[in-house]
Amino acid sequence: MPTFMRTTLALCCAGWLAATGPVLADDAKPELKPVKLTTTADHTKFKELQQVFNSGPEVTKACLRCHTEAAGQIHRTKHWKWEYLNPQTGQTLGKKTVVNNFCISVASNEAACNSCHVGYGWKDASFDFKSEENVDCLACHDTTGNYKKPSGLAGNVVTKDMEFPPGSGKILKAIDLSKIAQKVGKSSRDTCGACHFNGGGGDGVKHGDLDSSMSAPEKEVDVHMDATGLDFTCATCHKTSSHDVAGSRYTPTAKDSKGAHLRGKADNGNPATCVACHDNAPHKKEARLNQHAAKIACQTCHIPSFARGGIATKMTWDWSTAGQRDAEGKHITKKDAKGRIIYESRKGDFTLGENVKPEYVWFNGQVTYTLITDKIEKTGQRTPINKIGGSPSDGKSMIWPMKVFRGSQPYDPVNKTLVTPHTAGNDDTGYWKNLDWDKAIAVGMNTSGHPFSGKIDFIKTEMSWPINHMVAPKEKALGCVECHSKDGRLAGIPGIYIPVRDNNKLLDTVGWAIVFLTLLGVFGHATLRIVTARRH
Amino acid sequence: MKFTNQLTVGVALSLLASAAFAYDADWKRGRVYYRSVCTSCHAVQPVGTINPSSKTKAEWAAYLKGDKHAKGKDTVKQYVSKAYRASIKSGNKAAEKFAAVPDQELLDDIAAFLTKGAKDGDAPASCN
Repeated sequence: MPTFMRTTLALCCAGWLAATGPVLADDAKPELKPVKLTTTADHTKFKELQQVFNSGPEVTKACLRCHTEAAGQIHRTKHWKWEYLNPQTGQTLGKKTVVNNFCISVASNEAACNSCHVGYGWKDASFDFKSEENVDCLACHDTTGNYKKPSGLAGNVVTKDMEFPPGSGKILKAIDLSKIAQKVGKSSRDTCGACHFNGGGGDGVKHGDLDSSMSAPEKEVDVHMDATGLDFTCATCHKTSSHDVAGSRYTPTAKDSKGAHLRGKADNGNPATCVACHDNAPHKKEARLNQHAAKIACQTCHIPSFARGGIATKMTWDWSTAGQRDAEGKHITKKDAKGRIIYESRKGDFTLGENVKPEYVWFNGQVTYTLITDKIEKTGQRTPINKIGGSPSDGKSMIWPMKVFRGSQPYDPVNKTLVTPHTAGNDDTGYWKNLDWDKAIAVGMNTSGHPFSGKIDFIKTEMSWPINHMVAPKEKALGCVECHSKDGRLAGIPGIYIPVRDNNKLLDTVGWAIVFLTLLGVFGHATLRIVTARRH
Repeated sequence: MKFTNQLTVGVALSLLASAAFAYDADWKRGRVYYRSVCTSCHAVQPVGTINPSSKTKAEWAAYLKGDKHAKGKDTVKQYVSKAYRASIKSGNKAAEKFAAVPDQELLDDIAAFLTKGAKDGDAPASCN
């Protein structure tokens, strides 16, 4: 054997040993082959996924060859239907139907809004909700972080670089669906957050307790999701069954008296409540705090403020000031000292907040929406977009923290209804392009199928968002004086006696008088005893 | 011929071994380490922040390959090493959590995050 061959062979063997040796040594169990421990299937090995995909539905077809029931399961969910019948109120809700005071409504804006739909191609009412291949598996199962559904493409993905909007000079880069499909895995904070962190048109805009700081948060931001600690994903609490995600904004569980969830228990209820893990009496050292838990939601003390991750949330939005142009007729953008947008011609004025103290209300879980079909009188009061049910005496309510988002939005003063303007879109009637309310509202109302008088006014509204996330470490929970004081956080909460807040001058005077007289009696009695004892 | 066959088998084994055990970098773990450990010193003061999006993918690749930290005063690898993690783990939860991760894996994780978060990456990222 020539020397160079021997040397090469020796080097190859050494290479093999070097590559395998450390693994075997580390495992200390040479019979176990190295495997991925976070999944039961390495999708790179599936031939179905080893191909070029030219569209999202092509990927879905490949997924469904193995996951035969998945699309049918998705079809039954709110994430797919964007429609929900509230059994408590009988209202038909869901993103397809409700009106809010952020971007207002989906109707006629599907191509933009539906980049957050778990489907492909929902651009108008013709969308086929029975199509299996239109289900978007990757929106929730991407692990690469590279999966993107740009606004304006009706939930479709870009597989070839394209200019969008046409003529704008902006290029949307293609994504590699094959690579993404081969790396699918469980949902994560990043996949849920792609939509839920960006609700209302931007990072942190809508919820206040959900923004991109929750992608990999520190303990101070969220004790459960802390990326270097408990590292919960959204699905840890929002436990999913048959692709249906637990927890609802339309029928929240305001009071969970069922205790901690147990395996095998017949009716475990909503797994996304605090009680589902912590039980109804979670305070082991300070039992008195468990009495508080009978009337006060955990979130009230344990989420002292929202928007704590360094990203501001929108607190007000005044659509009535939209439409201004500069001297050259161009759109205007104004920013605050921190460089955050506070005015846009296409949207109006905003105010933003960080570390915002919530507002507090009695809440029993019932939320009644003001729908496009409801008649509204314009008064001095703000119209509630969603009316939060609850009272101190109904036995179902707890004191909850809320983000209350206030705004002014377009309104039909003749029909006395909210309206659904066509905002997004690169067409002549899209408000964000042409700043023309008349056209935008006429088209939007026609699309949503509701009458429009042609008259436009603006009405003040407010919308409440129960605060659930950004749970602080227990050391940062509210202290006693935050509520037990005259001007504390619960100053306006009726129907409950809160010591210090609720002291009564007359009662206090009588009480202190009794204390004084008691002490006087004790000292007087003692004095008499001492004096009489000396005489004897 | 016999030796040629053996040689071929040897080369194949070697390639297979490296393929079978090729590490699949975890950009999310890299993100946590970068933001918790690197950023703990690279704050606004006194060192200055370094956003992943402040460099291109090529610049980050060259930086990691060059392995020069603080203009060559020490190495980048040093700050990713098990020894370094052990030295700071009492005060840094990311160092504690990833204490046992092999050095090269963690370096690959960080490289994956920086590639992704670079100026021309798929998702330009900040420090926070």
